[in-house]
Amino acid sequence: MQFKGTKTFTGKEMEDAIARTGGYSNAFTSPDWTAYFQTLPSSALEMALRFEADRMVNSLFEPLEVETERTVILSEREGNENDPQFLLGEAVQQAAFKQHPYRNEVLGSTEDLLQLTREDLYGHYRNYYQPGNALLCLAGSFDMDEALALVQKHFDPIEPAETVSSNPTPENEITSSQRVELQGPDEADYIQIAWRSPRASDPDFFAYSLIESIISGPSTLNMFGSGGIGNRSSRLYRQLIENQLAASVYGSLSASIDPGTYTLYITCRGDHAPEEVIDQINLVIDELLNENVSYEELAVALKQARANFAYSSDNITNQAFWLGYAQSFADYSWFTDYVKRLEQVTSEDILRVARQYFDPARRVTGIYRNRDGAANG
Amino acid sequence: MVDKSVNTAALPGADTIFRKSYANGSTCLAYPNPASPAVYFRGYLPVGSLSDPVGKNGLSSLHAAMLSTGTHQHEFRELHALIESCGASISISSGSLSTIFSGQCLKEDLPLILGLLLEMLSQPAFPQAHFERLQQQLATLFKIQAQNTEEMAAQAFDRLYYRGHPYAHPEIGYPQTVAAITLEDLQAFHAETYGPNGMVIAFAGGMESDKTADLFEQVFSSWHVPFQKKQVDLPDWQPHREAMREHVAIPEKSQSDLIIGTTAPTGMSKEYHVCSLGNSILGQFGMMGRIGESVRERSGLAYYAASSLDAGIGPSCWKVIAGVNPDNLDKAIGKIKDELKRFISEPVTGAELSDVKEQALGQLPISLESNAGIVRFLLSLQRYNLSLNYLRELPDILESVSAQDILVCAQKYWDLDSLVITSAGRAL
Repeated sequence: MQFKGTKTFTGKEMEDAIARTGGYSNAFTSPDWTAYFQTLPSSALEMALRFEADRMVNSLFEPLEVETERTVILSEREGNENDPQFLLGEAVQQAAFKQHPYRNEVLGSTEDLLQLTREDLYGHYRNYYQPGNALLCLAGSFDMDEALALVQKHFDPIEPAETVSSNPTPENEITSSQRVELQGPDEADYIQIAWRSPRASDPDFFAYSLIESIISGPSTLNMFGSGGIGNRSSRLYRQLIENQLAASVYGSLSASIDPGTYTLYITCRGDHAPEEVIDQINLVIDELLNENVSYEELAVALKQARANFAYSSDNITNQAFWLGYAQSFADYSWFTDYVKRLEQVTSEDILRVARQYFDPARRVTGIYRNRDGAANG
Repeated sequence: MVDKSVNTAALPGADTIFRKSYANGSTCLAYPNPASPAVYFRGYLPVGSLSDPVGKNGLSSLHAAMLSTGTHQHEFRELHALIESCGASISISSGSLSTIFSGQCLKEDLPLILGLLLEMLSQPAFPQAHFERLQQQLATLFKIQAQNTEEMAAQAFDRLYYRGHPYAHPEIGYPQTVAAITLEDLQAFHAETYGPNGMVIAFAGGMESDKTADLFEQVFSSWHVPFQKKQVDLPDWQPHREAMREHVAIPEKSQSDLIIGTTAPTGMSKEYHVCSLGNSILGQFGMMGRIGESVRERSGLAYYAASSLDAGIGPSCWKVIAGVNPDNLDKAIGKIKDELKRFISEPVTGAELSDVKEQALGQLPISLESNAGIVRFLLSLQRYNLSLNYLRELPDILESVSAQDILVCAQKYWDLDSLVITSAGRAL
C-alpha cells in the first residue's frame, strides 16, 4: 500500500519518476523489519528522499486500492503455494517457535489476507512508520554534507510520535525434537531441518556462521548481486550428493534480532527415502558435535568469508542494505568488522557453539512426501 | 529536479575497453574497476544444444554439467576444494547456441581460477560415477519441473512457437533422451566440438586490463584443437501464421502461469531499439508498463504481469507473462489482449516515449555499477557484433526513435490473429 500514493503524489507518479531516472525501487519485509529502497543516479537523491519522507507519514490507504492490493497479494501467496518447499518451510517455522512471531509467514496466511481491514493496515502504518522507528541508509557517489542537509530538509519536518511495540519474548531454544510431515502431488520428496540460531548480536553468531560454512557452505552476503560461493566441498554435499542420496542440499542462516533458525533444505532423489537421507545428516552432525574442526577447514571458511565480503561491496545497493541490516540488530560495525570477528573464532568456540545449538533432540525435522511413495526405495 | 544529462565520455568505449583476438581463435575483453578487490568473468564457447544429435536432446547440457565433475589433473573433490577454498566460484552451463561459463574470485586468485577453468574446459575426466549421479539428479529435476507451472507454460510455449526448429526443445532435454545419452556420447561430443576457436571471455574487476590480458594469454594461448568442429548453422525458420492455444493441466496448483507471445526482431536488427522502447511502454516501465497497470494495478488479477522482448541471434519472440489465479485466467487474457489491441492501434504518447528514452539512458551508469553488469555489457558487444563505442552512440540511436516507428513495429510483430497462448496450472 506504500506504493499506492500520498496526498502529494500518486503511486504511479512516484514509480514513473524513479523509472525515468533509469533507477529502480522496491520494498521487502523480513520478520524484523520492512525496507524500502531506491537505486538511482546520485543526481536524483533529493527526489528519492522527498518520496521516502512523504510516504513515511502521508500514504492514503484508499479503500478501493486496499481491495485491489489484497487480490494481488493473495496471488503472490498462491504463486508461493505452488512450491512444496514454501509449504514445508511454513510448517517447519511454525513448529520451531511456540509463541514468537517468527513462527508466522511474513506474507501472511490466506485467512489473514482475506480478513485484514483497511483500518488494520492503516493502524499498523500510523504506529510503526515514524521517524523515531526508522533508519535511513545512503551509499554511493554524493557529498556527505550535502546529502545530510537534504536528509534534514525532508525528514526534520516530520513530527515525532511514539511507537507502541509488542517486544515479543525471545525463544532461546527449541525444547524438543519435532517432526512435521506434508504430502502432495507426485514430484520429489523434500526435507527441511531447523535448529535454533543465536541472535545476530550474540558473539556466538560468528562461530555459528562458520559452522554453517563448514557443513552446508557459506551463505552469500550479496543480496543484490551476482551469486556467491558453491558448497561442493561442504561436509553435507560430500555426504549426501557425492554419495548419491540426494539431488541438492543447502543451508540458510539469517541474522535476526531475536534467536532465529538455521535451516537445511534437501531435495531427495527418487531412489532413497527421506529417512535414509536424515540418517546421513545425523552422521555429519555427530561429527560436528564430537570432533574439533581442523585448522584447514577453519582457514577455508575464513577465506570464503573474506571473499564473500568482497563480493558484497560490488554494488551500492548491497552496501546500503548491509549497513542498515546490521544496524537493525547491532550497529553498522557488525558488518564492517565482520571478517575481523570471524578471525577471532577458534575451533574450541565452534565445538562449544555446536554442542549448544545442534542437539539432535532440539530440532524440527520437516518432510514433504510425494504421494507416489513407490518412487522411494 | 533531476539532472538528466548523460556524460557519454565517461561510459566505456574504444579507448577504455580492452579487446583482443588470439591466434587460436579466442577473444578476451576486459574493463577495469579499480575499487573492486574481486574479479568477475563470464564467457562462452560456440557450442550448445543446437548440436544435440537427434534423440539425444540434453546432451550439450549434460556435457556442460560433467565439466565440473573432475579433470585429468584434479578429481572432483580436489577440484572443488581448490575453487571453494579461496572463496571462488566457476559454473558452466549450456544454452541453445553456446556453452556459458562464469565465475568470480579475489583478484589474487585469478591465475589459479583461470588455470582450473581451462582444465575443466579442455581436459575433463568424465568419471563414470558422477555421470550416473548427474543422470539421477536430472531424473529428479524432470519430476520437479513437471510440477512447475512457470516451467511447463514456458516449455509449452517454446514447443508451439518454435515448432520445427531446435529452439522448440528444452536445452536440458527430456527424460527419455537424457536416459539415452552415454558417457561415450559425451566424450565424442567433447572431442569434436570443444576448443578455443570462437571462445570469448570478458573480465571486470580490480585488475588492470593489461594484466588481465597477459594472464588470459598465458593460460589460454596454449589451447589448440586442430579439427574443432564448427557449430551447426541455425536452420531456417518461418514464424507460424496461426493462433495456437495450449493449457498444461497440473492438479492442485494455486496459481496458473500464462504466456502470450508473438514474433520479434533479432538483437542485431535495426528494429531492435524501436521494439525495446516499445516493450518498455507495453510491459516494463514503472510497475511493469501498460500491462502491469491494467492487469495488476487496476484489476488486481496478478502478482506479476509484464512483457519481455527475447531478442537473440536466431528466431526471437516477444512475450507477455503473468501469474494469475486459475479462475482469473480468461479475464487476464482478455485484459492483455485489450492492451495489445491498443498497442497496435494507436501511437504511444509523447510522454510515454519520452519516459522510456530517459529511463534507457539513466539505466546506463546503473547497469555498469557492478562487475557482473560490466561483463554482461562487454559480452553483448561481442555477441551482437557492436561497436566498442556502442554505449556512447546509444543516446543518438534512442533519440531517433519516434512513436510512429513503434506503431509500425507493433503492427508488424503483434499479429493478434496468430498469437501463441500457453498456460499451466489447474485444469481449465
